Amino acid sequence: MSEITMPRLSDTMQEGTIARWLKKTGDEIKKGDILAEIETDKATMDLEAYEAGTLQQVLVQEGETVPVGQAVARIGNGAGDKGEGVGETTSAQQPASAAETSGDGTGATGAVPTVSVRTSEQDAGQQSTSSYTAQNGSGKAIKASPLARRMAEEQNIDLSQVQGTGPGGRIVRDDIEDVLEQRSASPAPAPTPPAPPQTALVSPAPADAELVKLSRVQLLIARRLTESKQTIPHFYVSNEIDMTDLLAMRQALNANLGDEGVKVTVNDLIMKACALALEKYPEVNSSLKDDHFVRYSHIHVGMAIDAPNGLVVPVIRDANTKGVRSIAREAKALIAKARINRLAPADLEGGTFSVSNLGMMDATHFIAVINPPQAAILAVAATRKLFVPVDGQPVIRDLMSVTMSADHRILSGATVAHFLQEVKQLLQNPYSVLG
Amino acid sequence: MGEITYRQALHDCLREELVRDDNVFLLGEEIGNFEGSYKITAGLLKDFGPKRVVDTPIVENGFVGMATGAAMLGLRPIVEIMTINFIVPAMDQIVNHAAKIYAMFGGQCPIPLVIRTPGGGGQQLAATHSQNLEVWFAHVPGLKVVAPSTPADAKGLLRTSVRDNNPVIFLENLALYNVKGEEPPADYLVPLGQAKVTKEGADLTVISYSRMAAVALNVARRLEQENNLSIEVVDVRSLRPLDHATILASVKKTNRAIVFEEDWRSYGIGAEIAATLQEEAFDDLDAPIKRVASLEVPLPYSKPLELATLTGSKQLIEAINELAPRRRRGKQ
Repeated sequence: MSEITMPRLSDTMQEGTIARWLKKTGDEIKKGDILAEIETDKATMDLEAYEAGTLQQVLVQEGETVPVGQAVARIGNGAGDKGEGVGETTSAQQPASAAETSGDGTGATGAVPTVSVRTSEQDAGQQSTSSYTAQNGSGKAIKASPLARRMAEEQNIDLSQVQGTGPGGRIVRDDIEDVLEQRSASPAPAPTPPAPPQTALVSPAPADAELVKLSRVQLLIARRLTESKQTIPHFYVSNEIDMTDLLAMRQALNANLGDEGVKVTVNDLIMKACALALEKYPEVNSSLKDDHFVRYSHIHVGMAIDAPNGLVVPVIRDANTKGVRSIAREAKALIAKARINRLAPADLEGGTFSVSNLGMMDATHFIAVINPPQAAILAVAATRKLFVPVDGQPVIRDLMSVTMSADHRILSGATVAHFLQEVKQLLQNPYSVLG
Repeated sequence: MGEITYRQALHDCLREELVRDDNVFLLGEEIGNFEGSYKITAGLLKDFGPKRVVDTPIVENGFVGMATGAAMLGLRPIVEIMTINFIVPAMDQIVNHAAKIYAMFGGQCPIPLVIRTPGGGGQQLAATHSQNLEVWFAHVPGLKVVAPSTPADAKGLLRTSVRDNNPVIFLENLALYNVKGEEPPADYLVPLGQAKVTKEGADLTVISYSRMAAVALNVARRLEQENNLSIEVVDVRSLRPLDHATILASVKKTNRAIVFEEDWRSYGIGAEIAATLQEEAFDDLDAPIKRVASLEVPLPYSKPLELATLTGSKQLIEAINELAPRRRRGKQ
């Protein structure tokens, strides 16, 4: 029998929520079967079975959140189940204990147990031996002081994820305390979900109001936006861009595509224009970190998408080096994934600038909240047909209003205005965007 | 409360016990007319007479055997062995007689015997006159072994030892006799088998006894001021019986321990304490227990070599710096 633990699905993941169990107790499990869907702060992902057996016990119910490394279910071999009942209580008290970790390392735990009935005494003996020689995934023994082991067990810390700084790399109390400190310092660690932004909800909600529990992603969005607006001094610069020529070019681009081709959207062209402008104004493609100005060498442009689960901002990586068709293809795929909540952490990480476009919803003007740690976000409003004076005559043109929100700690009004001029210049001479 | 030397504390206690109980008497080499090699018994022959303060020939096996016989018949002898190095001829009397008689003869007669003797090096007395042989006795069931580090404990433990009905090896230390400390209240008693936390601390525990317990306390106070390290010091005071509860409680709190002893390291007091800690506090240990002891050679006479051989504050500080937890070490 072995335990399935909450996997670490991204670098920053501290805990996960079981969104849905796809298997139930008693189900036969084949290696590779999807057991459950796990919701992290970034995305919803599959929990895959690494060994075959019977799903014996579900330890974490749907909607519950547990730290990485904690057991969420037990898989046993159907034949050995009853015989192993004796030992079950002992191991249940040891979340992510070493026995299971070493089992994962060898991958042989799913085999028929050689001893079908074990006495509790034998079982206890095995427990203590295995906890002493705990192994990490690569089968190498983990060196840790007895105290560090005990603390890790109590705090559900996976020792294979801890860097030991004691003699010979031994994990000692200091290292566990480091992990605990990081946990309490990082934003989403506590078992209690972080409080939603303090909108002064002074009076209790009226009895006839519907209370909808926020998902983890929604909670994260709420917290990050609050943090952004409270800690970053935003300022705003607007401009109007004449899109007439660009719309004509786009029509030509998409005219003879056929069925397989991916149509280039206005947003794809704006993303590309922004990426090119970021090349020219690298200070916009940066972050403030403590006392440093972090200038990113890559230009990864995020695009805000209204997914059913909340706002997500998947990223087009190295957008400045990609052609508009590649961008269009990638954007289309990301949007499709976002619609069904299947974006992977990799899709969401590393953005250096964002574009939020409400143009298709007729918004005439809006301002966006910066997506930290980025320095700026471009809000794109609807393109409208307006009369503009050309050579003293009113002419109908397609005008688009854009507003940039920028971090005034590192960006000046002039820089942002120049950046917008560059975007405007590119979009008004649309063939330069294709370059 | 006034100050008193370790020597004076012992003297006062002997005098008070001689006054209190007519069955108490002293015997040993040069303790009467010469008033003791270290003057602990100064003036006692004059005040109590030759029946209560007995000068003996230089025959340790003889007078320790005599004291054991006297104890069997109801007296309460306090033997002085000039230094622990001279106790060797009396091992048979101590180990095979004094320690066994009560148990072997159906509890017919207890042996209320105290053997006072100083150990310790550092006086340039060379290999045969500078030893710390307490482990030999701490190993033997039927004996009790105490080793106070302060004048108050010396007085409190000696008094309890005299009143105890078992043979007690009362370990003094040459380098402690002139040390001053707080004078305890009259009739102060320290129970045998009870350790004392002489300084509270959070980062690690130093466990010691006798003179090294005093050195440890000094070092701990100094490091707290200089390095901001919070060191707990436990003076076990009794080597047998050993107070497990106090040392365990301390190490369960600090998770790291050093045993600091003047004797040799192998098979020493540190070995016993380390074994006890790993048996009873395994899950609380964050590092292997360190033993800081003297080098295992016959002690050289030469001063520089003697200094290099004996353990002391320098060795303890080095061990503390190695063992102190990383997160506490940095905070200045």
